[in-house]
Amino acid sequence: MSHVPESQLTTYLVEEQARFYRLAYSYLKNREEALDAVQTAVCKALEKQDSLRDAGAMRTWFCRILVNVCTDQLRHRQRVIPLPTEELDTESYEDPLPGDDFLARRVDALPMELQTVVKLRFYEELSLREIAAVTRCPLSTVKSRLYTGLKKLRISMEGAEY
Amino acid sequence: MNEFKRAKEKYEETPIPEELDGLVRIGIRQGQEQYRRRHGRSFRRSLGTAAACFTVVLAALNLSPTMAAAAADVPVLGGLFQVLTIRSYEKEKDQVYYQVEIPEVDSDADIARRVNAEIQERVDEHVAEMEQMWTEYHDSFMATGGTEEEWAQRSMDVNVAYEVKSQTETTVSFVVDLSQCSFSASQTQYYYNLDLAHDRDITLRDLLGEDWVEICNQSIQGQIDETAPEDNFCFPPEEGGFTTVDETTSFYIRQDGVPVVVFPKYAIAAGAAGVLEFEIRK
Repeated sequence: MSHVPESQLTTYLVEEQARFYRLAYSYLKNREEALDAVQTAVCKALEKQDSLRDAGAMRTWFCRILVNVCTDQLRHRQRVIPLPTEELDTESYEDPLPGDDFLARRVDALPMELQTVVKLRFYEELSLREIAAVTRCPLSTVKSRLYTGLKKLRISMEGAEY
Repeated sequence: MNEFKRAKEKYEETPIPEELDGLVRIGIRQGQEQYRRRHGRSFRRSLGTAAACFTVVLAALNLSPTMAAAAADVPVLGGLFQVLTIRSYEKEKDQVYYQVEIPEVDSDADIARRVNAEIQERVDEHVAEMEQMWTEYHDSFMATGGTEEEWAQRSMDVNVAYEVKSQTETTVSFVVDLSQCSFSASQTQYYYNLDLAHDRDITLRDLLGEDWVEICNQSIQGQIDETAPEDNFCFPPEEGGFTTVDETTSFYIRQDGVPVVVFPKYAIAAGAAGVLEFEIRK
């Protein structure tokens, strides 16, 4: 059990901040809330630094904190402002091969667990094993969520699995 | 997976706000502070110029049985009074981590009684509010499809701390800090400047004279103007930025006697600036 030096963690957090913001923004779609989420996640990371045992796992470890903060914020928001229903209904898109930006929008409209897997896989290019570590799910669950997500997006699954 | 090429490009085009870097650094500082607090290397307890410290075990201070009545450090001061930790506890309940240190001004002065009651009331309110927020959060978490397993990974920190900024034989300046960190973070600070000999609050007028408003405003505006544009998060005056100090403006007194005016986060500047402090020199 080795301890990861705090300086290594803070350097990583400062250097990769743009990535974190993008991921947070992709969930929250709101500049201020995304900024807040990154700050909160960074604060938590420092607080819980003892739970990071292996410097190699830093990325998945922090990703998990950040994704949790974002999904918490969304849940918190749901009790305040209900999301318009059409945004939640992916089936309402008729076009089986939508144009460029449609895909990004449809990814955002997926149920939360599916969204997370799809974003981490294709935007952040994490391996399925890494995604399993981020979401603390068995690999099989990650795979099935990815398939379900892609099916909903009507995209062929070829090459998605590794 | 070419379909994702464009989606990924779009994702990577997300504009990065300028204040991100500042906020990340603030988050790092806050986290470090919390981490150190939890690991007992509390610097907030190293109070001012306390001549000596000894330990008093406070029992039967209407603590619930689950709260450990922690030993309190008591700085012994000469003169009329002392500020001491009247209640200190750490506990965990329903994944909420409490770290609470409540000060009390130990003096016969009426103002001490008033301030002590006020602090107690604010702390009780803070803790009750946080408990309620946590319960509501739990309910909405479950109502929106959360599982107990996922819930078990959530936690909240509730902190109450204080810091003595300065003290003399007859006066004391200290701050009580109520904060919370969960899916969001918030912090409220209350500043107390007391003259125990004369049984009254110390005001900026007492320290700076009749022209205290002009002196403060000039000094603060000067410091805002001196700030490099890239570090300046202050709003313009017409958009809620700094205009003037008044009787409600918070301040503390530094050990060298210089008053320091404090604006809470968001009060006159973007959240990235955090809490802003300005020393006021005559």
